[in-house]
Amino acid sequence: MRKQKLSFKLNGEDRICEADSRWLLVEAIRQLDAAGTRVGCLTGDCGACTIMMDGAPVKSCLVLAVSADGASLTTIEGTSGQAADAVKTAFVARNGFQCGYCTSGMVILATEFLSRKRDPSEAEIREAIAGNLCRCTGYDDIVAAIGDAARALQEQHAEKSGA
Amino acid sequence: MISHDFQYEAPESFDIALDLLSSFGSEAAVLGGGTWLVPNMTYGRHRPKVVIDPKNLPLRAITRSGDELVLGSRTSYAQVIDSSSVADGAPLLAKMAQQVTGGPQIVGQGTVGGSACYGNPSSDVPACLVALGARMILRSKDGTRDVPASGFFLAPFVTAKRDDELLSEIRFPITSERASCAYEKLKFSTGSWPIVTANCIATTSVGSGLHLKIAVGGANETPVAYEVVTDTDPSEAELSNIAQRSAPLIEREWADEFAGSGYRRSVAPAIVRRALREALGRDRV
Repeated sequence: MRKQKLSFKLNGEDRICEADSRWLLVEAIRQLDAAGTRVGCLTGDCGACTIMMDGAPVKSCLVLAVSADGASLTTIEGTSGQAADAVKTAFVARNGFQCGYCTSGMVILATEFLSRKRDPSEAEIREAIAGNLCRCTGYDDIVAAIGDAARALQEQHAEKSGA
Repeated sequence: MISHDFQYEAPESFDIALDLLSSFGSEAAVLGGGTWLVPNMTYGRHRPKVVIDPKNLPLRAITRSGDELVLGSRTSYAQVIDSSSVADGAPLLAKMAQQVTGGPQIVGQGTVGGSACYGNPSSDVPACLVALGARMILRSKDGTRDVPASGFFLAPFVTAKRDDELLSEIRFPITSERASCAYEKLKFSTGSWPIVTANCIATTSVGSGLHLKIAVGGANETPVAYEVVTDTDPSEAELSNIAQRSAPLIEREWADEFAGSGYRRSVAPAIVRRALREALGRDRV
């Protein structure tokens, strides 16, 4: 077993840990009070382990923990701001989940998507979540929730610019 | 957690990386984007003694060098899609990257060079590189080799890259401004691997007709490519004939659980025809 000192920013805080080179990034962050990120397939198919790494969404089961030395990571626990709030509110209102296992990955991805895209079509929403599986097949409500969140954000922007 | 013990190295220089590759040979694995290597280690299908993470090496740049577009081997599909240099210099590459499946995460994590070195017959990348006439730049302690993409893919999951070599760059001749290109593929669901891919670059030259460069992926164990010169405005029947020429080139057909023996060879001409029609700006049928 080879341990390596690892330091990164997790949800804005500097963290240092002794990481085994065999750990996947999702396993390392789950041991650091950030267990909201889920371990799903470990093949990169399901997207349950999606986090933000240096500003881009990544499947954290496809990253060795030691590769993340020096990186800045945001997990579901650290998502905040207007887009994240709108997404979370809409997911609750629309029941954008059934068992909830895919939810943290979906919320991370939807938040990142809506921070880039103001007025997405349904097709664009479906394309954005193409790498995240809902094994309960609750896609319609998830897609509707992301659409609602987009509209809520547009209204907030309109109010702001109108005021 | 990955079950087997291995050494992780993130070398600070090419010299150190190439020393490691020279010492460990086939027992070393180089991380591209991790989308293949990491899950295969997780599932115990690949058990390298050392994993070389080139994250500290400058392998992610897209630059224009004279008449060539130079892509660092760890350039992601997302970088390719966002690059104006790629859009201008090798638009087919961008079209291919736009059709990579797996969601924005895989598009951001997967790399062109990683896919090339994996050499999966079903990948989007190999035939596209062949169509574009790419050159693979391979570095080792012995020096640098320059292998054309057409000679890089030797067999399923086998490439011309030696165990002591690192793919550092992929170089593309700049596609003519007069050319139009298309990338079409057959897949059975939104997120599935391609069954057959077809790349087409169509160039019209005054006095010499229409030059078509076609490369088919997924159908054979390695990409197959051919070139055709025809009238500037070929008939539909002529396009069908040109597309049909792909079938006999598929001598070592790739078959797997998605499409058994005979299937890919049968459908390849239809996908090639779609690419030809798309490149010539004809309406979809």
